[in-house]
Order: sequence, then structure tokens, then C-alpha cells
Amino acid sequence: MGLLTREIERAPCTVEISHCFDSLHAHVRFNNGAVVYPGDEVQVEGPEIMAPFGEIVREDREAIIVRASKLEQLWTRLTGDFEVMELCEFSFSEEVKL
Amino acid sequence: MNVQNTIAATHTADATTVEEGLAIQEAQAVLDSVSATEVAMQNTLLTPRFYTTDFDELDAIDVSSVRRDWDELIDEMVADPNKGHFRKNEAWDHVDWDGMDPDLRKEFIDFLISSCTAEFSGCVLYKEMKRRGANKDVTQLFQLMARDEARHAGFINDALREAGVAVNLGFLTQKKKYTYFRPKFIYYATYLSEKIGYARYITIFRHLQANPDHRFHPIFKWFEEWCNDEFRHGEAFALLMKTDPKLTQGINVYWIKFFLTAVYATMYVRDHQRPAFHKALGVDPDWYAHEVFTKTSKLSEQIFPITLDIEHPRWQRNLERLHKANVQIADAKEQGGVAGKLKQLAGSAKAALAFASLLTIPANKHRVPAQTRLEPVY
Repeated sequence: MGLLTREIERAPCTVEISHCFDSLHAHVRFNNGAVVYPGDEVQVEGPEIMAPFGEIVREDREAIIVRASKLEQLWTRLTGDFEVMELCEFSFSEEVKL
Repeated sequence: MNVQNTIAATHTADATTVEEGLAIQEAQAVLDSVSATEVAMQNTLLTPRFYTTDFDELDAIDVSSVRRDWDELIDEMVADPNKGHFRKNEAWDHVDWDGMDPDLRKEFIDFLISSCTAEFSGCVLYKEMKRRGANKDVTQLFQLMARDEARHAGFINDALREAGVAVNLGFLTQKKKYTYFRPKFIYYATYLSEKIGYARYITIFRHLQANPDHRFHPIFKWFEEWCNDEFRHGEAFALLMKTDPKLTQGINVYWIKFFLTAVYATMYVRDHQRPAFHKALGVDPDWYAHEVFTKTSKLSEQIFPITLDIEHPRWQRNLERLHKANVQIADAKEQGGVAGKLKQLAGSAKAALAFASLLTIPANKHRVPAQTRLEPVY
């Protein structure tokens, strides 16, 4: 990992999307054990994956991981905490007017 | 595209690929009026955020000091008292979406989408912690919590579909950046979020039990069991924090005060931005805020050594200032130009001042009980 350079990596992954009443979820699992670090960007390749209502879809795809540079990683670690309030749930969006 | 496995619902039982499943759905859409509206559904892309944390620190958690309480809580979650509960049944009354006041409709849909996104993001976060962790106690907990969050999200999604809003889970094919939170910030924020969520839902549930004519949507009938899930999640985070006394001592007490203030203030401001919703429920948002803060403070005494002094004269005054400043910022943004920019800056300064005034109110101190676990009694 360079101080200022980003590296691009490809990883086979499995995407699981559930569009069921008893579970609405969407997850990506890297199948080669790739690990994501702070500041990295991940994009699953290919067209949008849609699960019809009532179904669970699993697809094997390839993901592009853009590795953050050492500096970006450090920056994300230092500043990420400021956004931690995102984890809180308040029932409404932050929009003042709808 | 390689479709590995499609578990089909009854009406698309023969579909072996997602395209086929979609095609069947589309073909059915013209058959009845319910699915005909689906074609014209408003499409809302869910945009959860993605996080990483210090997974080694998570793995280092040792729950042996709270083992009895921990096992009891996990057993309760494994027993899954709410399995099968979050589905529409005969108690789900007809919702007259067309006859609903347009302002209420807008605010209520905002409530559903925001709640769905929050549950969904919680699910993504917990699942990530489950997947990356190696500590069996911790990964089991996060797996169980991810299950609950996905279930809640699914239930809200069901209500949204009825309102003509389809959530789109296609965000995975968009580029997403992973941000980073320290584990302790995740504990403080999610603990409070789960407990305040419990207090919010149970207060509305009890209010509507006493005033059923204000129940304008059946989803409120499910709030009691729903918030019991939130309550259990909060208990789990309380126990996690109990395993490391440093988390609630020293400099961290200031962090706790910051989180309490930020969470309460944000809730106050957001609720006051949704007047039609609260009017329809017959709830005064000031009364509601006070009720929820009182309950949340009482609960958080289980683990936090301080609570906020919400009876202090500066408290309510500065919450109102914060709300007004927030409205000013939004108006100024809409206005634009140099004058707008100046007004926006003034608004931000007012908001910062109000928040600082809230944060500097001396906190109430108390002794944290040796026994952490609580039962939902409100």
C-alpha cells in the first residue's frame, strides 16, 4: 500500500439479497477472503441485482476494491468517528421540510 | 449473470432465474389491481452506509464477568419470542392512503422509509461485525441482532408497498466507501439508539392504547413487541460495556455526556420537523420528548454514571433555540446567494451556541448498580 497511491483489486464475491417479509437484507461476501479496511471503496460489478418481492436471490459476481492509500486510511480512521451519530435512529429523515 | 440459487415464493415457484421471477411478477401485475399499482410504484433506493471498526478489539471482549446475564439474554434471543410476529394479520386494518391528509401522508412515508433504512443499516453493521469477528459470544450476538433488524426492515417494507413505495436494494452495485468507527463509539451510539428507540415506541404504543381513535395506521399495533427487540439489543450493549469498566469511567464520561446530549437534541429537532405526524397521533412533541428522555435516562442508569438534567431551565430553552436555528439554516439554503449564505452562517453559529449551552448543563451523577440487566416495564 502506497502512501498516496491507490491500488485496485478484484475479488470474487457472493451477493445475497432477500426481499421477504421476514427479512429484508442485502450482503456481499468476498469469496477469496479479501478484507476491507477504512477508506476502501467497494463496487459490485454488473447490472443492478433485484429480488422480486417474496424471494431471496444469491449471485456470484466480481467486486472491485479500490484500496485507500495509507494517508486516506489514516484520515478515515481519524475522522470517521465524527459521523458516528449516523448509527442513531430517530424515525425521521433530517430534512427540515418535506 | 450467474444465478446460483433462487428461493421462489409460491406464485413464482417455477422460476429458476431472477429474470424469470421478475417476468412472472410482471405478468401477474396486470391481473389484479393490487399488483397493478406495483408497476407504478415510487422507487426508493435504500442507501445504507458501510462501516468498519477495530475487529481485534471486538474479539478481545471477554464476557465471563457477566456470563450469567449474558447467557440468559442470548438464550432469550435464541428462543426468538417474536418469530412470525412481524407479518400482517387480521389486526392489520385497511389503510386509506388516498384519503390521508397529504402532509400527514408525506411525513408518515418519511417515517416508514427512514425507519426501514435505519433497520437495514443496523442489519448491515451487525452482519459485518458477525462476519469479521472470531469471538463466539460476540459473533452470536451480532448474528441474532442482524436477524431482528432484517425482520423489522421487512415488515416496514411490507407497509411501504401498500403505500405504493417500493424499496430498491440495488445499492450494492454502486460504489460505496467504508468509513471507520472506534468500537466504543459504536457501543455508546447504538446502546442509546436502541434504548431511546424502545422509549419512543412504547410511549406511542401506550398513548394509542389509551387513545385508539388516534391510531391512523395499523403498524403502531406492532410497536410493543417491536420495541422489546430494541430493548434486548440495548441490554446486550449494556452488558458489553459492563465487561470493561474503563468504558464508563474517566474521560469516557464526557463522551457519554456528549452522546446523550447529541441523541436527545437530534431527536427533539427531528420530531419538531414533523408536526402533522404528531398532530394525527394526538401527541404534543414537547410532552413526548420529555416522556422519552425521562424513560431513556432511567434506563441508561443501568450502565452510565450520569444522566442529563432535563429539568434544568436551560434545557428546554436551548432545545427550542436549536430547533429554530435548524429551520433558519434550511430556509437560508433554499434562499441561496450571498444573503442566504450569511443567514446560513448565522444559523450555524446559533445552533452551535445552543448545543454548547446544552452540553455544559451540569449532569446528574449516580452510582451504577452492580446488577445491569433490566426488564421492559413501561
